[in-house]
Amino acid sequence: MQDEISAALLRVARKDRAALRQLYALCAPKLTGLLMRMLKEKTEVEDALQDVFIRVWDRAPAYDPEKGTGLNWLCAVARNHALDRLRSQRSRRQAQSVPVEDALDLAASGPGPEGQLMLRAQMESVVRCFGELPQDRAEAVKGAYLMGLSYQDLAQRHDVPLNTMRTWLRRALISLKECLDR
Amino acid sequence: MSDDSTLSPDDHDPDDLLAAEYVLGLLDGAEWRAARDRALVDAGFAARVQTWEARLAALNAEFPEMSPPDLLAKIEARLFAQPKRRRFGWGWGLATGSVLALALVAAFVVLTPQAPRVPGLQAELVDESGALVLSVSYDRSATRLSIATTGPEPGAGQDYELWVIDDSGVPRSLGLLAGAATEIITDLEPGQVLAVSLEPAGGSPEPVPTGPVLAAAALTEA
Repeated sequence: MQDEISAALLRVARKDRAALRQLYALCAPKLTGLLMRMLKEKTEVEDALQDVFIRVWDRAPAYDPEKGTGLNWLCAVARNHALDRLRSQRSRRQAQSVPVEDALDLAASGPGPEGQLMLRAQMESVVRCFGELPQDRAEAVKGAYLMGLSYQDLAQRHDVPLNTMRTWLRRALISLKECLDR
Repeated sequence: MSDDSTLSPDDHDPDDLLAAEYVLGLLDGAEWRAARDRALVDAGFAARVQTWEARLAALNAEFPEMSPPDLLAKIEARLFAQPKRRRFGWGWGLATGSVLALALVAAFVVLTPQAPRVPGLQAELVDESGALVLSVSYDRSATRLSIATTGPEPGAGQDYELWVIDDSGVPRSLGLLAGAATEIITDLEPGQVLAVSLEPAGGSPEPVPTGPVLAAAALTEA
């Protein structure tokens, strides 16, 4: 089973320049949304989006379609790049908190047009498993994944001590794992 | 709101939690570097990281689609810029006629079939204290890796060993650092990660690092 994005990614792995253009057309909207969520600033997002496609060109040979969809691989590359940028921002201005404007809302944006059956089933189980968590814990895990918030950011945001946030998150992750692997 | 009192993080596999925290991006500073180093050299840990990435991937559906900036031309310019001609190549070509110039161009194309860019890679590996610095450059056409090392010498009975890790997560030894300047002939690609570990004299007795990984960095285009 291969979707259009995965197929383009496999051609990019063979250094097919036309496939890179196709991949940009297919995925730049999603990756822009991801980077905007995590990095917030437009110029930072534009720099990051370029860097992400450079990384994708270089690393595409490592994409293994057996292990997941092309879109999820691309999102992982983009998330990791955004996390790198957030970490260096944080170490530049250490104790200050990262500005957070938009509240988290699970229902805010549904699955994109790529929502195929498998993705939908996956999504349903994630929604169900997050639903089993206390709401503030679920928000904290999603805050980390979707916005790149660190333990420190999350502790400030939820107004709890850092160690409490660590314990919350770790318990939530154990619950999630047990639920998702069920 | 119910409490989650039955689940104690202390009872849970600490490596698995660390992998989850690493994937979520919760770690900073020394904790993050330690986890990254583990992911680079420990295949079991790398597999846990991949499993967590897959578990949480459905959350990607929550990222909205947004109208993207048109950066394709900039990206292509960065990726596919014409390699700069070496100066002596030009001089020779002009001086000795177009046949030799064509031959030089043909030789260049044949010798570097997959290197449309300037064939240099680089990385800088800095340990946590900032004292040990490895400035690495890689000449892709000569497949020559040059490492300039500054900082503390390894202790008596110890050596620094250099490793390369590709996306499979399996480290391969590139050899020991020989003082301030080391040259190694090897095949490397952009995106691969170099790591330096402290090993017993003569290098790790295992096919993977046994000592602490002191620093790591990815090879990028120079």
